[in-house]
Amino acid sequence: MNKLHECLITLHNPVAPNHYRMVLQSKDIAGHSSPGQFLMLEISAGYYPFLRRPMSIERIFSDGVSILYKVCGEGTKILSTLSVGEKINVQGPLGNSFPIPKEYQQYLIIAGGIGVAPFPALVEKILNVRGVAPEIILAGKDYTHLLCEKDFRQMGCKTHLVTEDGSAGDMGLATDILKKLNITGPTIVYTCGPLPMIKNVHKICIERKWLCYASLEAEMACGEGVCLGCVVPAKIEVENEMMARVCKEGPIFDTQVILWEKIGE
Amino acid sequence: MNVNLQVSIGNLTLKNPVTVASGTFGYGEEYSEYFDISELGAVTVKSLTLQPRLGNIPPRIVETPAGMLNAIGLQNVGIENYLKYKLPFLRKQNCTIIANIYGTSIEEYVKLAEYLEKEGGADAIEMNLSCPNVHDARNKFKCPLIAQSPEWVEKYTSAVRSSVKLPLIVKLSPNITDITEPALSAERGGADGISIINTLLGMSINTHTRRPKLKNVVGGLSGPAIRPVALKMVWDVSRTVKIPVIGMGGICTTSDALEFIIAGARVVAVGSYLFRDPLAPIRIIQGLRDYCISNHLDDINNLVGSITVD
Ligand SMILES: Cc1cc2nc3c(=O)[nH]c(=O)nc-3n(C[C@H](O)[C@H](O)[C@H](O)COP(=O)(O)OP(=O)(O)OC[C@H]3O[C@@H](n4cnc5c(N)ncnc54)[C@H](O)[C@@H]3O)c2cc1C
Ligand SMILES: Cc1cc2nc3c(=O)[nH]c(=O)nc-3n(C[C@H](O)[C@H](O)[C@H](O)COP(=O)(O)O)c2cc1C
Ligand code: FES
Repeated sequence: MNKLHECLITLHNPVAPNHYRMVLQSKDIAGHSSPGQFLMLEISAGYYPFLRRPMSIERIFSDGVSILYKVCGEGTKILSTLSVGEKINVQGPLGNSFPIPKEYQQYLIIAGGIGVAPFPALVEKILNVRGVAPEIILAGKDYTHLLCEKDFRQMGCKTHLVTEDGSAGDMGLATDILKKLNITGPTIVYTCGPLPMIKNVHKICIERKWLCYASLEAEMACGEGVCLGCVVPAKIEVENEMMARVCKEGPIFDTQVILWEKIGE
Repeated sequence: MNVNLQVSIGNLTLKNPVTVASGTFGYGEEYSEYFDISELGAVTVKSLTLQPRLGNIPPRIVETPAGMLNAIGLQNVGIENYLKYKLPFLRKQNCTIIANIYGTSIEEYVKLAEYLEKEGGADAIEMNLSCPNVHDARNKFKCPLIAQSPEWVEKYTSAVRSSVKLPLIVKLSPNITDITEPALSAERGGADGISIINTLLGMSINTHTRRPKLKNVVGGLSGPAIRPVALKMVWDVSRTVKIPVIGMGGICTTSDALEFIIAGARVVAVGSYLFRDPLAPIRIIQGLRDYCISNHLDDINNLVGSITVD
């Protein structure tokens, strides 16, 4: 399969302050993508910036995919100036995807801020293959950082909102809600967001004996596993410590394989 | 018009003068999904060490203007796993293989080279005497590289030279006042070729945390930012030694590759730019052929070192 595509931008809208959704036209990408995978976008034709930018696939349509992104530096700033009708070079889909094992009846998603990006596609897939709507905890700094809420409700998901300043939903952190949730039985948790949040979600899941998959981020150069720049310390093969490539072995990891004590704050 | 793109390093013939830089192509598997990697003049693999190495603690890369810093720290599968799990794939693809090796002593380099020769693990050996990322900069602000000592370069080269028959390439560091000195030493030591340049030492600081962006503090700079520096070193070295020079440092396009060849490089390698465009080496091979045709050159070797300085 060809992984380099010149994609037409068919939609590009602000969805919140500093946040945008972009739809990229490509039957090829759409046809080969699974929830959790990511793309490497070429931001400009020149050497500023030099490297591509990794972005999760938000939704998969029949003739394209969408991304949801936050402007946080020079690259994403330039990205936000591109217009519908322009083309952008996209590499992907890359990386692994969220496993959706059968033996679990309850699917719980915990998203912090822009970490919500890979989840609309995952919800659609779980609905399709398991026929249940996952429950969702949507956390953010304030109400402007709660994205995709409407989409999740439309898909039938029970959605809990929580903000650090209490401007929407409960006041507090995602983990405060998680601790209060009354869930029993085999549960699987999917999470993405700030690293401290993922770590705390992981700890709670260990206590409850829940399986937890996290989508991790790392600085990336190649996105294809050749540069070894994006690694995290992990124990993937039995008894064998390794530096796992977020772009190849990940970005989705069973949080139990990550050697959290070896990752700094 | 028939154009000869074949070039030689020692007794090894490459079908064209384009290879990839060690550490930017893994062991070939990943980018073989993008193009037929046997079309390359050679595949140069990630540095191999006697034992597998985990490499440095992340973050290991930072983007910089027109390039990047890396402090990978030679993470690699080790020579045995390479021979067992990586080599069969490269052989099956029919690639010409340049195996890059890294040791912490003369004995280690000799062992690695002998092992590779015995097991048919390479068509040429590239000795990495210039990796900037295997020292902890917090403890040692001076990071000595073998490539910084002409005397050691000769010792290391001649030791490996006398133990294997495979074509031998020595990879040198730009972190030095006069790169022609270690280049001459490598030639005297019996090298068949010289690879230049490895990365330039650099650093980058997060102004909010006032901490280095790389966990290793310092790293190696690569990409278009270093191209003019690399080009000058290729020009200097190729005028000084008689053995072929493999030029690298920020090569992205056919025009970049031509600059290196005209300056004196017999072979060119694409490195960091692969991360932007995995197809760059293939575009460059075609581009070199097109250039030769439109300039009525029937042999690319006639272009090597053809620079005119008025
Ligand atoms: C697998 C993966 C999926 C991602 N998905 C999304 C997404 O769906 N939506 C979204 O908004 N962001 C996502 N990110 C983060 C996004 O890639 C960065 O925010 C973006 O690269 C920042 O680029 P910049 O030039 O604006 O920032 P700058 O800070 O100017 O970038 C400088 C360098 O740092 C890197 N970088 C900066 N922040 C991050 C980060 N958080 N993670 C990785 N590299 C970073 C950049 O790629 C670049 O090389 C994802 C990251 C990864 C690894
Ligand atoms: C991520 C990365 C890893 C590298 N690893 C190695 C290595 O293992 N051995 C080596 O000799 N050079 C290594 N290099 C250096 C390159 O082979 C090359 O000399 C240098 O990057 C300059 O070329 P470029 O600007 O085209 O990348 C590495 C470079 C990068 C960017
Ligand atoms: S980004 Fe290069 S190995 Fe993951």
